[in-house]
Amino acid sequence: MNAPTPALVARPERLRLVGQRRQILALMHQRLMFGMLLFAGIIAIICLRLIWLAAFGDHAGRKGGALDLTPERGDIVDREGHALARTIDAWIIGLQPAKVIGNKLDLARKLAQLMPEKDEAQYLAMLRSGRSFYYLRRRASPSLVAAINSLGEPGLALQREPDRLYPQLSLAAHVVGYTDIDGKGNAGIERAFDEQLRDPARRGQPIVTSVSSRVQQALEHELDAAKTHFSAIGAAGVIMNIHTGEILAMTSLPQLNPNAAGQGTPEARFNRATLGVYELGSTFKPFTVAMAMDAGVVKSFGQMYPCPKSLRVGNRSISDTHPFGRACSVAEIMKESSNIGTAQIADQLGPTRQKEFLRKMGFLDKVEIELKERGRTLTPGNQWNQVETMTVGYGHGIAVTPLHLATGYATLFNGGIYRPATLLKVDKNHAPGKGHRVFTEETSYKMRSLLRLVVTEGTGKKADAPGYRVGGKTGTANKPVAGGYSNTRVVTSFAGVFPMDEPRYVMVVMLDEPQPTKETYGFRTAGWNAAPIFSKTVSRIAPMLGVRPDKNREPNMAEVLPFVHEDK
Amino acid sequence: MSARGFGSVIWAGAVAGAALGFYLVSLNVASERAELEQVETKIALAQRDIRLLQTEIGTRGRLAQLERWNVKFIRLSAPTADQFVEGGFQLATMVTPHKKPAIEAPVVLASAPVEQAISSRPKLTGDADGPAVPATAPKSASDMMYVASYGVSSKAITRPSSVKPQPIKPTATAPANTVADKPQKPAAATKPAKTATADPLAPLPTAKPKAKGGAPTASAGAATPKRTHKDSDSD
Repeated sequence: MNAPTPALVARPERLRLVGQRRQILALMHQRLMFGMLLFAGIIAIICLRLIWLAAFGDHAGRKGGALDLTPERGDIVDREGHALARTIDAWIIGLQPAKVIGNKLDLARKLAQLMPEKDEAQYLAMLRSGRSFYYLRRRASPSLVAAINSLGEPGLALQREPDRLYPQLSLAAHVVGYTDIDGKGNAGIERAFDEQLRDPARRGQPIVTSVSSRVQQALEHELDAAKTHFSAIGAAGVIMNIHTGEILAMTSLPQLNPNAAGQGTPEARFNRATLGVYELGSTFKPFTVAMAMDAGVVKSFGQMYPCPKSLRVGNRSISDTHPFGRACSVAEIMKESSNIGTAQIADQLGPTRQKEFLRKMGFLDKVEIELKERGRTLTPGNQWNQVETMTVGYGHGIAVTPLHLATGYATLFNGGIYRPATLLKVDKNHAPGKGHRVFTEETSYKMRSLLRLVVTEGTGKKADAPGYRVGGKTGTANKPVAGGYSNTRVVTSFAGVFPMDEPRYVMVVMLDEPQPTKETYGFRTAGWNAAPIFSKTVSRIAPMLGVRPDKNREPNMAEVLPFVHEDK
Repeated sequence: MSARGFGSVIWAGAVAGAALGFYLVSLNVASERAELEQVETKIALAQRDIRLLQTEIGTRGRLAQLERWNVKFIRLSAPTADQFVEGGFQLATMVTPHKKPAIEAPVVLASAPVEQAISSRPKLTGDADGPAVPATAPKSASDMMYVASYGVSSKAITRPSSVKPQPIKPTATAPANTVADKPQKPAAATKPAKTATADPLAPLPTAKPKAKGGAPTASAGAATPKRTHKDSDSD
C-alpha cells in the first residue's frame, strides 16, 4: 500500500502535459480504488469471520470436554459387586526447596510437628539441599493436607495422584493381589489381569471376580481363629463351586494388607493356597478308592483287605493310627483312615493307572487358575515304583497345593468331570472352563456315601454341621525335614463337600503346624483342629449360598453302612 | 420508481431481519447446549462424589470391622438347622394365636337394644307413620356395623339434629315408653328417661326421617351429654 505513494507526488514539470496528467490521475484513482478494495476486503473477511463465529462457534463458557470418570486403573469387584480394589485420588505432599520463601528453620520445625516421621534437622537438611523435589508424604490424610496448606508456603506442593485402595483391607488379599507404588500389578488378579486393568478401552468395566466377600470373610475369620487357637504358623482355605469351578473364597494366612503390601512379611505375601505345595496326607485316600473303583479293582465297598497292625513293603513299614489287626472292608478303611488298607488298594491299581488318573485331575502340573502365583507340584517323578504308588495312595510322597485338592474333590463329586478353577464370575460374559471326564458318574455317586460315613462315623465327626450333610476326609501329614519326616510338625487338612446328597460346594481348609491344646487331649491330627473349622464355616456360609439345612436328608447310606463292622 | 426504491430497502430489511432471526436461533441453541453441558458436568461430578462416598462407607463398614463388632458386642452366631422352618404353615403352628381383648366391639353392637329397636320399630312406626317401616328395616344392619367405630359420637350429633326426632329408650321397656313418649315429643320432656337407659355404644340409625318413633330408639344410644345439646338446638 505504501508502494504507490512516491508516484502520487508527481514532479511539476511533468504535469504540464495534460495527457500525461490525466493518465496519472487515472492511475491514482486506480490505485486508490485498489487500496480501498483491499481495506474493504479485509474488513469484510473479519465481519464474515465474526458472523461465522457467532453462528457456529462455541460459546465463551464452554468447558474443555466432558469430565472423564474412567479410573486410571480398572476396579476389581466381587461377585455381588462390592469393591475389592479401587482407584481413588489421593493427596501427595511434596517439597520444592528452591521455592521456599519463608524462614527455613521455622518451616522445618513446623513440618517436624506435623509429620513426626522425620525430625527437625532432617527437614532442615532437605530444605537446604539443592534438590528440586522431595516426596514428604504420599496418600496423606485430608486433615494433614489442610494443616500443610494453612502454612501458606509456596515451596510445599499439594497434588493429587491416582492411588490404589483396597476398601476391604486384607479380605481376599491373596486373590486380589496388590500393586507397586507406580500402579503396576505385583500379585494376584492385579498382576494376572494387569493389561486389562490398564487398558483405556477396557478399564471402565470392573473385573468381576467369582469371590463372594461374605463367604470369604467367614472363611478367613474361622481360619484365623483356628490358626490363633492352635498356634499354627499358617493356614489356607479354598471354597469352590464344584460344577463351574468358580472360587468363592480363597485365603492364605497370615494375612496381608494390600494397602501397605510392602510392610508385609514375605511369609504374609506368600500365597499358600496356590503357590505352597504340601503333602496333604489322607485327604488323598478318596481319590485312590475312586480310581480303584473306576479301574474295576474295587467292585464294592464291602471288598475285604487284610489289615495287619503294620505292613512292610520293601524297606519301609506302613502303620495306622487306628490299627485294625483284622480283615477290613473298603468302607472301614476309609472310615478309620487306614494307610495299610489304602496302600494295598493303590498297589492293586498300579503306578501307570494311578499316574494317568492324577494327570487327568491336573495333579502333576501347576494348578490351572488365572493367577500367576502357582506352585509346581512335587511327585515321585521317574521313581514311581511300588512303594511310591502305595504312599501316593494315602497322600504321602506327593505335594500339591490346597487348590489342587479342591479341584480334585470337585472333580470327584460333580459327576466325575475335571474343570479348571476360575477366579472370574461365570456368567454370560465368561463361560466355565472346558472340562473332561476323569471318573464315571457312578463312582462319583457312590463316593458320596463313603465320605459322608467318614463324618458321621469316622475321623471327621467334628466336621459335621447338623443339617448340612457334610462329607469329607481328614488329612494329617508329617512335614518333611532334613533327613526324613518330623513327628511334631504336621500339616492338617480337611477336604469336604456339602450338601452330600446333592453336592454343590467343596471346601478345603489347611493348618500349617498346629500345636496340640488341652481341648484336643494332646492330639494334633486334623480331626481335632481342621475339621471343626469346616463345621463352623459351613454353618455360616451354607445359608448364604442357598443350601437349606435339613436333618431328614442324607445321601444313600445303604451303599456303605452294611460293610461297617460294629465293634461293640 | 419510488416503489422500486423502497423495494430494495425492504429487501435489505428482510434479509437483515432473517439474518438476525437465524442468529437468534443459533444463539438460543448455543445457550441450551451450554445449559445441557452444565447439567452433564453436574451429573459427572455427582457420580464422582457418589463413588467417593461409596468407597468411604465401604471402607468404614468393611466386613472385617463388622466381624470384629460382632465378636465383641453383638455376638450373633450362625443359625442352627432347627431355626429354619419349612414354610409359612410351620411357622404359623409355632405361634399361639393372641387372646382377643375382653371387650369386643361387635358383640356390644349386636346386643339386645339394637335387635329390639328393629323389632319394636314396626310397632312404633305403625303408631306414628305408616311409610317409615321399609326405610328403617334395611338400614338397621348396616347401622350396627357403622357404630362399631369410634366415630359414633360425631354421627350422633349430626343425625338427630337433621331428623329432629326425640329418641325413645331401646330396652325391653321401650314399647311402653315410646307409646307414652310420643305425645310428649313436642314438649321435649323425654330427656331424663333417655339418659337413664341410654347405652353409650348403641347404634345410631342412619336415615329414618319419618320413623320418628323407631329411628330415635337406636340413636338414643348416643352419649347423653351430646344429646342435651341437640335437644336444645332442635327445641
